[in-house]
Amino acid sequence: MTESSVISASPAVRVEQLSFRYPGGPDVLTNINFTIAPGEIIGLVGPSGAGKSTLLQHLNGLLPSKLPEFVGQVFNLPGPLPSDQVSRGQVENLPHVMVDNLPVARQTIAEVRRRVGFLFQDPDDQLFCPTVFEDVAFGPLNLGLSDDEVRQRVRDSLASVGLAGYEPRSTLRLSLGERKRVCLAGVFACQPSVLALDEPFSSLDPRARRTLIAILKQFSGSQIIATHDLDIVVDLCHRVLLLDGGQLRAAGQTRDILGNVALMERHGLEVPWRLRPK
Amino acid sequence: MSDFLDRFGRGQSMCHRWPPFAKLFAAIAMILAATCVPITHGPLVGIVACVIFFAHTLARIPLAYVGRRLLFFWPTLFLMAISLPLSQAGQKGWLLFVTILVRGTLSFSTALWLVNVMPFDQLLATLRRLRVPDVLLAILSLMYRFLFVLWDELDRMRTARSARLFRKPSLWETWRSAAHLVGRLLIRALDRADRIHGAMLARGWDGRSRWIDQSREDRP
Repeated sequence: MTESSVISASPAVRVEQLSFRYPGGPDVLTNINFTIAPGEIIGLVGPSGAGKSTLLQHLNGLLPSKLPEFVGQVFNLPGPLPSDQVSRGQVENLPHVMVDNLPVARQTIAEVRRRVGFLFQDPDDQLFCPTVFEDVAFGPLNLGLSDDEVRQRVRDSLASVGLAGYEPRSTLRLSLGERKRVCLAGVFACQPSVLALDEPFSSLDPRARRTLIAILKQFSGSQIIATHDLDIVVDLCHRVLLLDGGQLRAAGQTRDILGNVALMERHGLEVPWRLRPK
Repeated sequence: MSDFLDRFGRGQSMCHRWPPFAKLFAAIAMILAATCVPITHGPLVGIVACVIFFAHTLARIPLAYVGRRLLFFWPTLFLMAISLPLSQAGQKGWLLFVTILVRGTLSFSTALWLVNVMPFDQLLATLRRLRVPDVLLAILSLMYRFLFVLWDELDRMRTARSARLFRKPSLWETWRSAAHLVGRLLIRALDRADRIHGAMLARGWDGRSRWIDQSREDRP
């Protein structure tokens, strides 16, 4: 990372010149650049196969499978990393993603994953413990918190998603909406500063969708939401990134991007109902 | 489908109120008795079977429910047992055949009793306190969590196949499409395993199992 590439302002997420391909496959992401300000909600839209999920997985360090190495400076964890420390450090394979000025690298991955909460598309992938309590407690336990702190976090997180008292319930016997909310409670329990949400509204009935929107609106950190539900993007997101064919095709204010009929049609999308010309 | 094996796990019978260790040791004792009593001692085998039958009644587990689960178990058990006399041209091994059938049935019924008198998470916690290795517990926990998810997936694929079957398939076609289904399910299961691993990493998992003894706190 060069001196010039470090900016004085501290975005919650900074993605710079990010390209990615699976071994032996075509490019999935090509030269992606964007930032997310603290507290900002970003909608990540695009047709199926555009690379949205792959991009989100980079924010949490789930991809690439071999993370870059950071050599030299010892990070000042757990607070944000002063930008001059980043510039003085030597980085192999340049990290292209930074969270709170912390490069996503092998040495920082535990802290990055604490800061970036990731919600998977299919709640069955994310709920892997037999009971709700164990599942929500999974993250805090891995953070090394005491038993009492873990219990408190589980109680608070479940209350924040409207599922207080669900601790002993089996994860097998929940509705889809409840499962999504338990997943979110598991993410909240780690107290992240950034949420990366992969299709959080898919297959939800209107009531469950409204509940989820209300929960997300209460979250004070930054969010990036990959979704096909463009009406919700209009309702929830400050800005939109349009991804197609692994490239960032447009970025800007929600209404400017989603209301642009030609742009939307060019990338296989539709203008949401509320932005359609009367 | 998700309560196929432990529908009565959160019941309120006398057996459900026993301490977890008592339930686990009772089950182990019944399985030991079922597997140690020689099959030639008919009355003793009968007594063990009666004890297991009584345990189910005491736990208010309907015998029809146990019988239906046994119907799923018996074909596998039968195949295992019949292989012995068949390997000896049907001349010997019939006593062993009966032994495997009887002991397998009694042991399976006892295991079924155990998972129906204590919730699975309580069973895992009890095993953990007995210092059963974490890896084994993780395998049990994930198997319990995802067995029925995969079963549902298989069910959906079978429905999709049936929806496009416009005539009765031949035996060869049935076997071929069944093999395709199983192969497809395996690939999906591997993909899912990948995603679950990602979900665990995303919440800070570093390969070590950590847990809280929930028995210390009153359950809500």
